[in-house]
Amino acid sequence: MSRLAAADHPVPPGFCLTALRCFANPAAPTCATLPAPLRGELKAAYERLCSRCGSADVPVAVRSSACDEDGAEASCAGQYESLLNVSGVEAVAEAVIRCWSSATSAHATSYRRERGLPDAASLAVLVQQLVLADVSVVAFSANPVTGERNEVVIEATWGLGASLVGGAVTPDLYTVSRNRPRIIHRRLGEKALMTIRAPGGTREIEVPRVLRDRLTLSDGQAIEVADLAEALEKRTRHPVDLECAYSGDRLYLLQCRPITSLP
Amino acid sequence: MQIQPTTASPAPVFQVYWEDPEEARLTWRHDRMHAPRPVTPLTGDLAARAFERGFNAAAATFALPLRARFRSINTYAYQAVVPPPNSPEELEHLQHQTQERLMGTLARLLPLWQQEWLPEIQERLASWDRFDLAGASTEELAAHLEDTERWYTRLWEIHFQLGIPFLLAPSLFEEMYSQLFRDREPLEAYRLIEGFDNKTVETERALWRLSRAALAKPHVVAAFATIPGAAVMEALETTTEGRQFLVMLCDYLAEYGERSNEFTEFANPSWIEDPTPVLDSLRHYLQQPERDLDQEAASATAERESLVAAARQRLRDYPQPVVEQFEFLLRAAQQASFLHCEHAFWIDQKGMYRVRRAILEAGRRLAREGVLEQEGDVFFLRLDEIEDVLRSPVSGLRERIAGRRAEMERFAGVEPLPVVGAMPSGPPPDSPLHRAITKFIGGPPILTAEEGALNGYAGSPGVARGPARVLGSLAEAGKLRPGDILVAKTTAPPWTPLFSTAGGVVTDTGGVLSHCAVVAREYRIPAVVGTGTATSRIHDGQLLEVDGSRGIVRMIS
Repeated sequence: MSRLAAADHPVPPGFCLTALRCFANPAAPTCATLPAPLRGELKAAYERLCSRCGSADVPVAVRSSACDEDGAEASCAGQYESLLNVSGVEAVAEAVIRCWSSATSAHATSYRRERGLPDAASLAVLVQQLVLADVSVVAFSANPVTGERNEVVIEATWGLGASLVGGAVTPDLYTVSRNRPRIIHRRLGEKALMTIRAPGGTREIEVPRVLRDRLTLSDGQAIEVADLAEALEKRTRHPVDLECAYSGDRLYLLQCRPITSLP
Repeated sequence: MQIQPTTASPAPVFQVYWEDPEEARLTWRHDRMHAPRPVTPLTGDLAARAFERGFNAAAATFALPLRARFRSINTYAYQAVVPPPNSPEELEHLQHQTQERLMGTLARLLPLWQQEWLPEIQERLASWDRFDLAGASTEELAAHLEDTERWYTRLWEIHFQLGIPFLLAPSLFEEMYSQLFRDREPLEAYRLIEGFDNKTVETERALWRLSRAALAKPHVVAAFATIPGAAVMEALETTTEGRQFLVMLCDYLAEYGERSNEFTEFANPSWIEDPTPVLDSLRHYLQQPERDLDQEAASATAERESLVAAARQRLRDYPQPVVEQFEFLLRAAQQASFLHCEHAFWIDQKGMYRVRRAILEAGRRLAREGVLEQEGDVFFLRLDEIEDVLRSPVSGLRERIAGRRAEMERFAGVEPLPVVGAMPSGPPPDSPLHRAITKFIGGPPILTAEEGALNGYAGSPGVARGPARVLGSLAEAGKLRPGDILVAKTTAPPWTPLFSTAGGVVTDTGGVLSHCAVVAREYRIPAVVGTGTATSRIHDGQLLEVDGSRGIVRMIS
């Protein structure tokens, strides 16, 4: 992600904690506090982020970014807990622990073992300024169902990404071709729920009918997302899936991983 | 015009004879909300044609895949929706167009009204007023009646062009509001969009001010307290105070009197011709000397603004598209509910008044020439018949009129069937517009859940207790006392002056967006609408509890 940020893709500012292995103790997977050096590092990084964003206690998203997640062998997408709208050093530290703990959960551990990955390996935690998403988007630079490399498949729903990534809603679905005409297919999803900001976190609420009946992305926006997916695939030389978000007219890239199981 | 059922002849059954077999294949519904009683042949002819053309022109404007028919059957007003002849592909295409055009209109409802529709309406009304009715030759009058139909039809085209969106906007807003804020009171959404000054409110506010002026004149107060009906006018003539008050009353009637007691019935006198309804309202208002309507309006406005602010506060963490949609619908629905009350003053009432004046002029001349027995008989002819008889003699006219009058009297004693022709094949499609129309005309009757209670639709929130006053028509308005529960088949727009007297309202017909419910909310009195059977189950004087938030009427005694 830091490579992508540097490459001038619209990535929200943030930092990555990579030294979590040092307190990875399989006997105590739910540790209550961070080791002092790591805590100091986190505090410094968060304060730098706050001053960079020009606000104290800037709300952030805390999500996993296993170092081997960038490896093309297995995508651990969705295996780790993400925490949105966290602010203040204390709360961020707690979120980092929860995020890390989720990587050592039985479910994630067995997922990793099945794929021959080392236990809770070199898990990194990504702390990014929270994007106040109007629409959350997941895109695949190749069709994950048919394996068609010429198609970008996009899912989009209202609000923050938790409902979409968690699979709780039927999103709008777009298939965008690399050739003209670009938009091959649009399907209006039910989008029954959306995740919005709440004090210290998020909450899930019902989507009013008038917005369920409306597509979340214009054709132009779907094409913009598809172009971003293609560019990232070209850059990483591998089909990718990405999480991104529209806040107003701006598209932010939040996460990018290789697709590891194309048919 | 009051047509009372005759008791001498046996009540006829509501047998329908179809001249056109095609018509028998349509589902005809009685428009109980607007016309619970029989309509004259002229109204059944001219108004039905104007409504039909007006509705269908508006349906075409919005690319709606349906057309409507209006006609009278056995002297009652019926409507049918003609199913679309389109293929499924065409329908899907139309759906997009409909959505786009309706939303486009919702986006600029008020500018359309202020810049296009209202100036045109005022120009039409001025055309009528420029015509010298008394000085015209008979041929000129006949030609004027043709113009009258054309102008009147145009008014109803405008009526439906704004009527379709003005039902849709509040319906969409209410749906969004209640889905966003599940914990709020069911009818709260309407508090955010209603209570703007409009011509209906202005009409009543001006009459209220007249009553405050009367309170300062002891002779006037005494006259109203002791002399019922229109006879009070003669008594007022006898004192200086009374004469001063009559001048003010005439000014009021000149400004607001171009309306009658029925939604649409050309045979009914206007307030200018017969001010009895105005005098009844004044009598009611004089019985409430302590009340301050301006204060009530100010607190309603303050409540609206604080509810809007609270909703915006709750929405601050929501995605922008949700907030934008909310603001769009709030604005459209506020403009729509203003127009809901405002348009009736200009189109329904002033339009009807001018048609009546033109028709009455024909009636007067025909009666003078001995063609008609009395001028009011002219309302028992169709418009083309009036035009024909003005141009050349027609034989057998008096017999025709007598037959039609007898038919109307006969059917006045019959309960018209709610549906004739083909039975409905299923519920209406679940589209935003169909949901809005259902909220206007009311849904199917709701089964009563508790003993001694009637269920209807929640129309205006709150609970009120009081004696029932069952009114068959506005002519009985004099019976109403402050705090009474007004029970009626319908309370179309002309009934609204009673709402500052009644403690609550119960109707047989209508839904949450019906005129009755809208105006009850404006007056902040509880209303239960669309009970289906209130006027037949509740008897005059019975103690009622009206729960307008839940749609329940309890019969306490």
